[in-house]
Amino acid sequence: MTMHQIELSGVNKYYGAYHALRDIDLKIRKGSFVALVGPSGCGKSTLLRSLAGLESISAGDLVIAGARMNGVPPRKRDLAMVFQSYALYPHMTVEENLTYSLRMRGVGKAEARRKAQEVAATTGLSNLLGRYPRELSGGQRQRVAMSRAIIRNPKAFLFDEPLSNLDAALRVHMRKEIRALHDRLGATSVYVTHDQIEAMTMADHVVVMRQGVIEQQGAPLELYDRPANQFVAGFIGSPAMNFVPAQVGADGRSVVLDLGTPHIVALTKSVEARRTLIVGIRPEHLQLASEMDTALRLPVGNVESTGAATYVTTATQPELIIVLNNRVSIRRGETLPLHLDPTHLHLFDKETQIRLV
Amino acid sequence: MRRLLLSIRDGRGFDIGLVSVPLAFLFAMAGLPLIYNIVMSFQEVDMFSLGTFARPFVGFRNYATLFSLPETWPILGNTAIFVVASIAGQFTIGFALALFFWTGFPGSSWLRGLFLVSWVMPGLVVGAIWNWILSGDFGVLNYILRESGLVSGNIFWRSDPDFSLWAVVIANIWLGISFNMILLSVGLSAIPQDLYEAAELDGANVMQRFYTITLPMMRSTIGAIIALGLIFTLQQFDLFAAITAGGPNNSSNVAQYWAWDMSFRQYDFAQGATISVIMIVFVMIASVVYVRSTRHEVRG
Repeated sequence: MTMHQIELSGVNKYYGAYHALRDIDLKIRKGSFVALVGPSGCGKSTLLRSLAGLESISAGDLVIAGARMNGVPPRKRDLAMVFQSYALYPHMTVEENLTYSLRMRGVGKAEARRKAQEVAATTGLSNLLGRYPRELSGGQRQRVAMSRAIIRNPKAFLFDEPLSNLDAALRVHMRKEIRALHDRLGATSVYVTHDQIEAMTMADHVVVMRQGVIEQQGAPLELYDRPANQFVAGFIGSPAMNFVPAQVGADGRSVVLDLGTPHIVALTKSVEARRTLIVGIRPEHLQLASEMDTALRLPVGNVESTGAATYVTTATQPELIIVLNNRVSIRRGETLPLHLDPTHLHLFDKETQIRLV
Repeated sequence: MRRLLLSIRDGRGFDIGLVSVPLAFLFAMAGLPLIYNIVMSFQEVDMFSLGTFARPFVGFRNYATLFSLPETWPILGNTAIFVVASIAGQFTIGFALALFFWTGFPGSSWLRGLFLVSWVMPGLVVGAIWNWILSGDFGVLNYILRESGLVSGNIFWRSDPDFSLWAVVIANIWLGISFNMILLSVGLSAIPQDLYEAAELDGANVMQRFYTITLPMMRSTIGAIIALGLIFTLQQFDLFAAITAGGPNNSSNVAQYWAWDMSFRQYDFAQGATISVIMIVFVMIASVVYVRSTRHEVRG
């Protein structure tokens, strides 16, 4: 029962007539790292703020460490939050920022100072304790915000897009650092981001949201390999999955892709014959084939090389993106023989966009 | 000269050109009268020497005379009471109102705007209205105090030496509340909301948030408003003219009213100038506080 640190059941949130969160059910295991991900306006930040108590939920139950927390004010929930803006207290030094929560709880000065030094040592802030936030760089402020959360030893950490104000290189670095910190502290973390790469690389459990609804949740690779619907399939993975309208053949064992011209691909499982659907193909699942054994010959549109990989866009309608993990000399206008492993095909219903089988 | 003109034409001296215009204006309109006033406080001035600048220099004799007058210390004391009580009243009520409207109940910004009405009213009009409110026999204030049982008999606010100064203080507090409230409201709305959210999650209750976030974040605004309050109360003249005229027997007289009385009613321009110079010193101190507090804007 207490295995779950945070439990949400049937949570709904309205802003007037606007339905911001719809029937959210979410169980967060103690010690796990959960990412809430989705496009802006999907409700992920609202959900996080509801956990923190900064927003009240209109219906449903919120249980933290076994206690119902619906009407409990934020200061009594014992959760620490790292804000996107960092929200450091500008009139306090780094040390005062770190010890603020301790002082509010009446911890003694010497004890607070000792703890601040302890935390600062682990986050590399030891020689910045006397500085004011305005005297720090973006990365250092980020560390202060993290340290301020760590020092409290809270029931859970809440992160609200904490890396979006950092430059790309620092973001990749901090990603690892936050995850390492999480593992070292054995903490429970809820991490909001719009960046699916962040969610995939950091989290144990990814929750994909859209328009206030949880579209799918699960382990990162589970979401990648078996997306529940076309939205999740398109949202997770970069470059995004290719979607091709298609029709199942008369035998139910093959599918005809409509790429401007018809292309027949075999299926591993039988599907209702003549059914129209959407076929999803991840860019890395189309690979170069030898001339003989291929069914798929596609004209090349654009070729981009990053050095490590080659991105090929086909001159078809709709166009497909193919990632080749080697250097190949391909030119626009050539015809490319491609191999498509049928086990990697994703089939979605054309109307409901829900995954088939 | 040619180089100076050239520097203006090529744009490098243009900024100096721009700054020099308001500086010249300030010097002519504020600097010169100030200097003239200081000079006059060291001279012997009478009705006949008023038109000339070359008057006999008397050193600190005007100051010595001033401080030998029996009313000087009581009037300076009155000034101090007037300033401290006015600022304290204006600031506390103004801050309380600013916090009240900051909670953002429906119609709060509209109501806050209405408070500015007191600010657009001329001091003499405010004085006249307060005369009615404070009136000893039929005044509303006396009526309220009497009916609520706080006093047994009427208080003659304007003619009782124990109350006359406070009559002006009450009117001045009313006049200054809206200015304090508006400036403090601006300061409050400049505090980022996420600081309060962070503090709330850090376990701070309402009072702790007020003392650890609101007050320190408002430090520069509070410094500025108290300095401005000092300047505005030291130049408050209309209310004295309208309500008590400094009486009875100087019991509500203050330095700024006294300086005017000396210069323009008793035609003792040297004494009037001397009182003004003493006031300038206090205003200067207030200005330094004001400049320092507005320079120290904090935001990381």
